[in-house]
Amino acid sequence: MILLSNILAIFRRELESYFYSPLSFIFATLFWFLSGILFITLLIGPQGIVTVVAIEEQRGVPLPPIDVASEFLKIFLGVVGALALFLLPLLSMGLYAEERKQGTLELLATSPITNWSVAVGKLLGVVTFFSVLLIPIVLWEIIVFSSADPAFPISIFLLSHVGLILLAAAILSLGMFVSSLTESSLIAAVMTFSLVLMLWLVDLIGDRLSGSLGDAIKHLSLLKHYNNFLEGVFDSSSLVLLLSYIFLGVILTSQSIEFLRFARR
Amino acid sequence: MIEVEHLGKMYGTTAAIADLSFRVETGEIVGFLGPNGAGKTTTMRILSAYLPATTGTVRIAGHDVHQDSMAVRQCIGYLPENPPLYRNMTVEGFLHFVARIKGINGGDRPAKVSSVLERCQLTDKKKIHIHKLSKGYRQRVGIAQAIVHDPPAIILDEPTVGLDPAQLIEVRELIKSLAGDRTILLSTHLLSEVSMTCNRVVMINQGHLVATDTPDNLMAQMSGNAGYAIEIEGNPAEIKPLLEVVPGVINVDIEKKSGDRPFATLIVTIAPNHEPGRDLASIIVSTGAGLYEMRRIRPSLEDVFLKLMQAEAELSPDPEASTVIAPSSTETP
Repeated sequence: MILLSNILAIFRRELESYFYSPLSFIFATLFWFLSGILFITLLIGPQGIVTVVAIEEQRGVPLPPIDVASEFLKIFLGVVGALALFLLPLLSMGLYAEERKQGTLELLATSPITNWSVAVGKLLGVVTFFSVLLIPIVLWEIIVFSSADPAFPISIFLLSHVGLILLAAAILSLGMFVSSLTESSLIAAVMTFSLVLMLWLVDLIGDRLSGSLGDAIKHLSLLKHYNNFLEGVFDSSSLVLLLSYIFLGVILTSQSIEFLRFARR
Repeated sequence: MIEVEHLGKMYGTTAAIADLSFRVETGEIVGFLGPNGAGKTTTMRILSAYLPATTGTVRIAGHDVHQDSMAVRQCIGYLPENPPLYRNMTVEGFLHFVARIKGINGGDRPAKVSSVLERCQLTDKKKIHIHKLSKGYRQRVGIAQAIVHDPPAIILDEPTVGLDPAQLIEVRELIKSLAGDRTILLSTHLLSEVSMTCNRVVMINQGHLVATDTPDNLMAQMSGNAGYAIEIEGNPAEIKPLLEVVPGVINVDIEKKSGDRPFATLIVTIAPNHEPGRDLASIIVSTGAGLYEMRRIRPSLEDVFLKLMQAEAELSPDPEASTVIAPSSTETP
């Protein structure tokens, strides 16, 4: 009960802080602008899916039967996932670095509240913020898909977005850990970006290595598991892996804050 | 209330604190005094369960700081050297947040927050964002966050550093008003601070205890330095031998003053428990010299501090000792 109220207190403060931080407004603008452009381009741009299908039909080329709506969603959310990779380190960079710089970590560390409930509260806050940013995007999709024929299956729609939020949570959780290692937001952002990029591209390394080691490394890939969600395939191993990244981030963060007490001089 | 026993803290191979023991009883305001780098902040961080100690134990309200850290955190209020403030929050919002993480339940929170706002005279600033406040107000918000959950023990690390004289008085009054059933440990390197607010002084240097006593007792130890400064118009060389034979007078020094008229100041050092003021005055007047000012000289806490630190340095074989002391003499006003 007390634990929950502690987590809630951190969560609320974290959310409130986005209203006063110019960074969150810049982030929202950038995210909506870029994803908006991608949405339009991928849908009705010169290479957009609607345009391509229309042209092919006019030429009378027999098309393999494709579901334009789900095909579009897969492509679009794939690109939004890549966008998240670039932008999310900006959100996670300040989570702890700012607390360390402002000295407020000393307040948290001397309050009757555990390190991990601080970490959980913070992660919930930043994931909620990002999820709220997805609302307009979901609205665009609903508008477009409402005219889809046959009707777009709601399960794939939900699964893809849950996947996106889980992916974001995994990136943010690891970013939170990196942020707890330094007082500089900039260093945290750069380090998080490199780390996440590595986890994203780990497929390529896995491909070069044959055998079970290669498979094991490939299994760590964020991209592969995210794509599973986008395919509309509910693969429990993908869910477990993304959740593991989230937990790993939280545990590492609370350990690194604990370690800070011993290392500090 | 606060019991520190044989506390030690190593940073790598350097000892920041070594074998430090002292107690603070319930209801006391204790000044924690020492030159910069003496280990004050480290000690306070250990007391507030922020840093682990290398050796020794600390108990606050009966709870061991290391074993029972959550219980300790519940019953202390801690103001670090840099007040931990979320600059983007309003004063009220911030205090609500602190009350929440200190475990005050929802029903009591508004009352606690408004009473602490009242107490720290922040009520008319409660809607202001913290980054817009002046340093004095921020310090008050810092104190407010330390006391919002009504802790029995309050630890304040340099609560008055960097304040202007008016703010200094306000914050000092605020601290004094907190006393009563609460126990307060405040660190400072300003000696005037200690003599004005504290019942007792714990003086440390290079991580170990130098002295602990009331400010008055510490000054009494220095009574060898007590005496009079007497400003006269006349020939001081004539008067000096007359004063030297007065019972209780140890020494008479002459300070010549520049200027047209023959002013001079005699510094008379007297033995403890002697009050020869009346005799001194009547002798001077009987020589026909003008008596312009006669002022009692009492040892200041500065003198006590410097003397104790000097004694430390002489005892210590460490050549760095003298450099540690040097800054303190320039800081004391």
